[in-house]
Amino acid sequence: MSAAAIELKDLNKSFGLARIIRGVDLSIGRGERHAIIGPNGAGKSTLFNLITGKYRPSSGSVHLAGTDISRLNPYQINRMGLSRSFQITNIFPKMTVFENIRCGLLYSMGYKYSFWHLVDRQPKLTERADEILEQINLTDRRHLIAGVLTYAEQRALEIGITIAGGADIVMLDEPTAGMSASETDYIVDLIRQVTEGKTLVIVEHDMGVVFNLADRISVLVYGEIIESDAPEKVRASEKVQEAYLGVAEEEAD
Amino acid sequence: MSAVSDAEAARRGKSGLFSLAKTAPWFIAAVLLICLPLVFNSGAGFTVMNQMAITIIFALAYNMLLGQGGMLSFGHAVYMGLGGFFCVHLMNMVEYDGLMLPLPLLPLFGGLFGLLFAFIIGSFSTRRAGTVFAMISLGVGELIASLSIIVVAFFGGEEGVSGDRTMGPEVAGFDFAQQSEVYYLTAAWLFISALAMFLYSRTPIGRISNAVRDNEERAEFLGYSQRYVRWISFCASGFFAGIAGGLFAINFEILTEENLNLATSGSILLITFLGGVGFFLGPVIGAIVFTLLQTVLSLYTEIWALYVGLLFVLTVMFFPSGLAGVIAIHVRPWQLGKIGLLAAPYLKMIVPAALFVFSCAAVLEILFHARHAALGEEEMWLYGLTINSQGVWPLTIAIAIAVVSLIILKRLAPSLKEAWDEANHQETGS
Ligand SMILES: Nc1ncnc2c1ncn2[C@@H]1O[C@H](COP(=O)(O)OP(=O)(O)O)[C@@H](O)[C@H]1O
Ligand SMILES: [Mg+2]
Repeated sequence: MSAAAIELKDLNKSFGLARIIRGVDLSIGRGERHAIIGPNGAGKSTLFNLITGKYRPSSGSVHLAGTDISRLNPYQINRMGLSRSFQITNIFPKMTVFENIRCGLLYSMGYKYSFWHLVDRQPKLTERADEILEQINLTDRRHLIAGVLTYAEQRALEIGITIAGGADIVMLDEPTAGMSASETDYIVDLIRQVTEGKTLVIVEHDMGVVFNLADRISVLVYGEIIESDAPEKVRASEKVQEAYLGVAEEEAD
Repeated sequence: MSAVSDAEAARRGKSGLFSLAKTAPWFIAAVLLICLPLVFNSGAGFTVMNQMAITIIFALAYNMLLGQGGMLSFGHAVYMGLGGFFCVHLMNMVEYDGLMLPLPLLPLFGGLFGLLFAFIIGSFSTRRAGTVFAMISLGVGELIASLSIIVVAFFGGEEGVSGDRTMGPEVAGFDFAQQSEVYYLTAAWLFISALAMFLYSRTPIGRISNAVRDNEERAEFLGYSQRYVRWISFCASGFFAGIAGGLFAINFEILTEENLNLATSGSILLITFLGGVGFFLGPVIGAIVFTLLQTVLSLYTEIWALYVGLLFVLTVMFFPSGLAGVIAIHVRPWQLGKIGLLAAPYLKMIVPAALFVFSCAAVLEILFHARHAALGEEEMWLYGLTINSQGVWPLTIAIAIAVVSLIILKRLAPSLKEAWDEANHQETGS
């Protein structure tokens, strides 16, 4: 029996008096594609920040493959094979596209804090970075400064940086936010392709994307998970209809 | 362009290591360093060149923090100074205790001492970036500078510590009594240090140091502790600053409180910024310009520091990427083959620009002389003329020239702008 990829036990987070995450219990299995949905301000990004070490839980714990990581720093958690993207694009805007990807590779390829390798003289490193560029379709943008890419390209680059290190748990926070329908299709294909065989946790507003990608969906409302089940069951759940999906549809009208 | 060849080189493996495009600048620099004494072979020439070399190393080391790591330090003279003090003590141990340390190796120990202190102080100062780091650097700078007056045994109090570089074992027949010998020693260390710092910027830690500067959060989520990255950069910078300190000890054979006080820390920030923090060559240019101004200008005027200050303020205001940035913006016209378009407007502007600078300087000099000259001493020398600093006419004429040349410059500005746009414009559809 192997431990779940991610396990949250009675997780709580307060900012001052505001309780943002309220007693979340959640277990995400290995290789699962798990979507977290919920209205704006429900605490989805906060949950991501708790899992990835950006915030410390007020109480409760986060486990990664059975190890308690609640007190670890982001870089330690990343080294254990968990990588994430951000809701607001978070890349190295002054570096070239190629260098962005290379930064994502350095640690995992064993270079760590080395000052005795020259990065331009590492054929394997360059090769791997170019493979990822090919995957995310940015090969022709290789030498551009990342800050000048279009929004959709920057989002693709962010996914590239996130998966570059070969983490087997990938967490994406609203990867398609603010994209046109065709751009969304493109990014969804990309996500499917680059997270093949990995554990995926994704926050997403577009229900089409969610039902298309996820094996399981958790619905977060006011910091509580009100439902966590297979897509069809979540869609059918009255509780969810009431609390969220109905609202989302109204908003969409 | 160069990035393409980088990648090509990387694919081909080691064969790119000796690519001409990359080694040529270093080869030229080496030849230049070897040949400079053929031109500047006076005592003053050596003094200026040595000072320049030391400042270049220090500024490059400083830019490992500021430019590459995004860490603004107000107290970096500490590491150069401590390295220097340590080296003077080593020199004295060579002289009195029979320590067999060949002089050319001394800067290495200065570097190690700088590294040691950067390691200790960096352990807490690099926890946070930004303002916190800057404030700690300022505090530590002040602390060590005041310690240097209190701990007389190590720092020698007000008069500092002096030594004699010629007391060590001869190396290949050199005893380093000659300035030219010291020059070659300094130049060799300059070459090695600059090359090492350049290569450092191409290593994983060098690249990640840039990444942490640009986006520390993202770097953390890629497996890097921003704190360790800053700490390592800080240690590396302290090491090279210490080497500069060792060379200072060899050149001047004395270190005082001045070598580690806040004024010195401020100058290196100014020098680096003046040259341009965004370019590897920026600090080199800054150090050369500053040393020239300091040594040459100070021969002609007492208020040279005022001019340096003005230059600094103007550079920060109009060319925030520094003197290297000014050079860099000419690269595109050059690549487009249109650099020639700029020649005419530049040539037209050079005379009024020079007139403007010299007349403004004249105003400052006349005012300074009028206020500070001894009573009854009204005559002053300016640009080969003897004038009366108390009189109305010299000042009026200087101001008039300044105003007229400024008006001419303003008139010429649009044609420069036009030429500039044209020179940067790439014809499409070709
Ligand atoms: N660092 C913080 N300090 C204070 N409040 C925060 C912080 N981060 C998030 N919040 C609050 O937590 C709530 C949930 O935010 P968030 O997790 O971003 O929601 P979601 O991603 O589901 O839209 C919001 O009300 C937000 O204002
Ligand atoms: Mg969010």
